[in-house]
Amino acid sequence: MLKRGEVVKLVRVVAETREVEIGCDECFERLDSFAETELHSGVKASAAMPLVGDHLEKCADCRGKFEALLRALRGT
Amino acid sequence: MELRGPNPDRALADLYELLVRGLAAALGGYGGGVEANFGDFAQEALIKITGNLDSFRGESRFTTWAQKIAINVALTELARKRWRDVSLQDLFAKREAADRGPADTQLTPEELAFQNTVLGELRRIVDEELTDRQREAVVAVLLEGMPISEVAKRMGTNQNALYKLLHDARRKLKREMEAAGLSPQEVLAAFEEG
Repeated sequence: MLKRGEVVKLVRVVAETREVEIGCDECFERLDSFAETELHSGVKASAAMPLVGDHLEKCADCRGKFEALLRALRGT
Repeated sequence: MELRGPNPDRALADLYELLVRGLAAALGGYGGGVEANFGDFAQEALIKITGNLDSFRGESRFTTWAQKIAINVALTELARKRWRDVSLQDLFAKREAADRGPADTQLTPEELAFQNTVLGELRRIVDEELTDRQREAVVAVLLEGMPISEVAKRMGTNQNALYKLLHDARRKLKREMEAAGLSPQEVLAAFEEG
């Protein structure tokens, strides 16, 4: 049963839901390009690749991989 | 990187070193002695990389693509270890026992009544409008925070398919909230205040 303290968490992610979203496989395919855009292009990657950016806002697994990849690229 | 060239062993050794350095930069603060696994993660990544060279599309640097694969290997394994003793049944059982907090006592009677109405309607939507699998996924991933990769395994599916199932569930929740006259902005305002 939904708990009172969970309403905000649930409704926030529902409010951000779009009719078209890409899945984890497609996001992962494009993650290297997205990361390089973020680091090197001077353009916000989420503006250049909005579907990937949107997926990363909603998917903690993929967001974790993206943030780890950024740290790896900055550190090597 | 000349993995297909005349001296692939040198290239492989260089790539392995790069992957290990990348994993250290990415996961250095993870804790739990994870550093001991960087070599294994890098080795497993090298196998995937050399076995899938044709899937590199040239949309980024090769080393970026390779580091992505190593990160994926590492984080997938770390999630598996972190959650290996947690079944969905355990998750749901703990959830029923956990207190998520009473209503805010600073609310006026009208505010509390509105919150209770909204909560009742959201519970109805979740319990009656979602399929059993959608509800299970919503609870495990969105509310309990279990990694989608781990929930997918326990539900007998894959991460990509589970994301699509969750997307369908979210779209249904959004439509049902609209049909019930529940504006997400009003709900958030009512529950985030006080």
